[in-house]
Amino acid sequence: MIGYHLRLALESLRRTPGLTLLMLCAIAVGISTCIVTLTVYEGTSTDPIRWKSGRLYAVTIDSWDPNEAANPKRPNLPPTQLAYKDVKYLLTSDVPTRKAAMFRTQDIISGGGAADAQPVPITTRVTSADFFPMFDVPFLYGTGWSAQLDQGAEPVIVISRELNEKLFGGINSVGRTLRWNNRDFRINGVLNTWFPLPKFYDLNRGAFDALEDAYVPFGWAEALGRFPNGGRVACWRNDPIGSFQQFLQSDCVWLQMWVQLNDAASRRRMQAYLDAYWADQHQSGRFGRPRNNRLTDVRQWLIDQEVVDNDNRMLVGVAFAFLAICLLNTVGMLLAKFLKSAPGVGIRRALGATRGQIFWQYLCEAALLGAAGAALGLLLGALGLQGVHALYARGSIGPGGYQELTHVRWASVLWALMLALVATLGAGFYPAWRLARLPPASYLKSDQ
Amino acid sequence: MMDLNLGPIFSSFMRNRTGALLVVFQVAIALAVLANSAWIVRQRVETLNKPTGLDEADIFVVSTAAFNEHFKYEASVQEDLAYLRTLPGVVAAAPTDAAPFSQTGFSTDVWTNPTQTGAPQELNAFSMDEQGLQALGGHLRAGRQFRADEIKPPLAQRSSDFVPEVLITQAAADVLYPGKNALGNTVFDSAGQPAAIVGIIDNLMGSLPRGLRTAYQVALFPRLPEARSLIYLVRTEPGRRDQLLAAAEAHLAHSNPDRVIKYARPLEQFRRRLQLADSNMEIFLTTAAALVLITTCLGISGLVMFNVNTRTRQIGTRRALGARRRDILRYFMVENGLLTTAGLLLGCVLAFGVGAWLTRQYGVPKLNPFYLLGSVPILGVVGQLAAWIPARRATLVPPSVATRAQ
Repeated sequence: MIGYHLRLALESLRRTPGLTLLMLCAIAVGISTCIVTLTVYEGTSTDPIRWKSGRLYAVTIDSWDPNEAANPKRPNLPPTQLAYKDVKYLLTSDVPTRKAAMFRTQDIISGGGAADAQPVPITTRVTSADFFPMFDVPFLYGTGWSAQLDQGAEPVIVISRELNEKLFGGINSVGRTLRWNNRDFRINGVLNTWFPLPKFYDLNRGAFDALEDAYVPFGWAEALGRFPNGGRVACWRNDPIGSFQQFLQSDCVWLQMWVQLNDAASRRRMQAYLDAYWADQHQSGRFGRPRNNRLTDVRQWLIDQEVVDNDNRMLVGVAFAFLAICLLNTVGMLLAKFLKSAPGVGIRRALGATRGQIFWQYLCEAALLGAAGAALGLLLGALGLQGVHALYARGSIGPGGYQELTHVRWASVLWALMLALVATLGAGFYPAWRLARLPPASYLKSDQ
Repeated sequence: MMDLNLGPIFSSFMRNRTGALLVVFQVAIALAVLANSAWIVRQRVETLNKPTGLDEADIFVVSTAAFNEHFKYEASVQEDLAYLRTLPGVVAAAPTDAAPFSQTGFSTDVWTNPTQTGAPQELNAFSMDEQGLQALGGHLRAGRQFRADEIKPPLAQRSSDFVPEVLITQAAADVLYPGKNALGNTVFDSAGQPAAIVGIIDNLMGSLPRGLRTAYQVALFPRLPEARSLIYLVRTEPGRRDQLLAAAEAHLAHSNPDRVIKYARPLEQFRRRLQLADSNMEIFLTTAAALVLITTCLGISGLVMFNVNTRTRQIGTRRALGARRRDILRYFMVENGLLTTAGLLLGCVLAFGVGAWLTRQYGVPKLNPFYLLGSVPILGVVGQLAAWIPARRATLVPPSVATRAQ
């Protein structure tokens, strides 16, 4: 029966090619704008590590100015980063399964591959050994470093796949030596392609910032003896900071810290650990703001830090409003088209077709349109995403940024299918129902 | 008064209520999208068109980084500046610590008293030498520029020495000394150290145009930047930027083996990156508005065409009974006009509803009624045009169809 329905539907669509094309375009354009905006929106709101995002927590303490919140627009949130002395203490906790502190720096690397190679400016993440297993970072060659190496200033380095290709042409460079900031470092590992979007663990430079080129143990935060210069340093005290040691002891916040807590019990214990530390420091005169120690899981973190841009939300709204107009349009055209075929329906009904059969017949026709519209819409959507990519790429400097989100993904195909269903039901349901309910007799007369 | 045939129009509405309602809803949604899009685009255009106060078309930025202990900072800066400033076609070159528009840079709180009484004002500061203002393409409004002998050496690490003199923009002067002449007055840093305001400059955008309450609260400090944030700002004669950028990059890459060039790029790149979100939003919303308008037209044309087709015989009958062509045309135009008007009225309510929601949810400024009133005639006229094309076909129906058997 379904084959018969489809054959008749195709036949009927062929009879009015102009109208069919018009409806097809309306559905396709409506669906494609939705696909474009949803793909970008979904890219910004996606959970980059969904298999364990509920077990990963950003650690924050409200260490800010007693008289002013760190973010006056959202006074209930503590600063997004921590001071060095707090991190040093919190890293000694044995409650979390994994724990990592980190920050971003700008550095110079030299001595890779060719002897006359020019020094290259790169970015580095100074972080703990747990960074790699905690975030499930994939390795192409070698591994990260062991946790003992975080303590001192161990000259081991992990480099990104891209940097390995640039310096060594992509060969296994583990064991080779690189000069990082004028010191010899042994390459311990080369990462495989890895690009978590949003870059949830450090949102200072935007959620779609490029990843760092290299990673070195956290001990270098202190051993390097210089002020960090690639991330964000925020200070609220007016006290002058003369030396690097003073800086490390200051209340300036510049470090991100993440922990992995596998169950509710360890989460409670970690919270208690934070609260105990806060109380202790509060006693001794620090932490003048109300207690606000937070363990924020990845999803909540992305919400708190407002990673999804309001512009994206508004554009999704506009796209759906447009789809609604397109569907209203299609309903009108389908209704006109179906009602024209009322005499034929009258004959079928008189010959014994049930209302249900008529209804399904015409819903089939709408579904056919919806499916074709979705296919065309997906194609147009892919083109649209290319256009959006070009628009974002024209203003970007280097990799990273919104253009990374403008690729057709499986989610886009899924959206197209779902929207096709919505289009079919939304546009076809009423006209088909209306036609099925027509009294056949009135259309059997020779003259309307 | 002209007879608009309202009776038959209403009775035909009642026969095809759905088709009529569909058009009403389409027009309503279209108006809500159109008015609010236009309003949001207007905000973005305003942001995009803000004057920068800089000669941004003729400036390029070179960032360098030392990578070994042989590097002599001050000697290197002297050598680089000597080269850049004598390059034919260069108007001015200055070392500084952040590129305008780059969203990385320094800001500092200042007070008008040494005891930090009252709320501080945040200034976006550039550390520069005596050619800094020329290199930015800024203009001195009052007072004087820095002298070469006033330029302080870079701060040792994060020492808290303030500078003895500052240049500030008019916007900064206005918030620090409202209603007074800031020139010759003093500002104090968080440690109570004073700096004399030796000059007021025309408003220009700093390195943190998004971070501060206004983009124009900028100060110039007479000091060499810290070695690790050193960049050169080079302003050229009009049209020579790209050529000189390439020449400078090639020279500086080899003139000193102890440092590397991190990048050399036109200042406009930073501005484009800063404006990207707004300029893209402008493009997206304009495209959406155009699509909405086109689709609504198609919907209106479609309905009128349907009506014309189903009423061919009635039209013929009316023509046979003496109706003129323009009576037929008028009938369809009036019919569509009524529907569009109903849609526009409903759309006004919807547009304000959506606008209020956008204000509450996303902080979009309250929809200006003027933008709504401006969109109404656009949609109305375009809607009538869309109806006119099929309606004209109706006038071509000959009276004889009425007498023919179907």
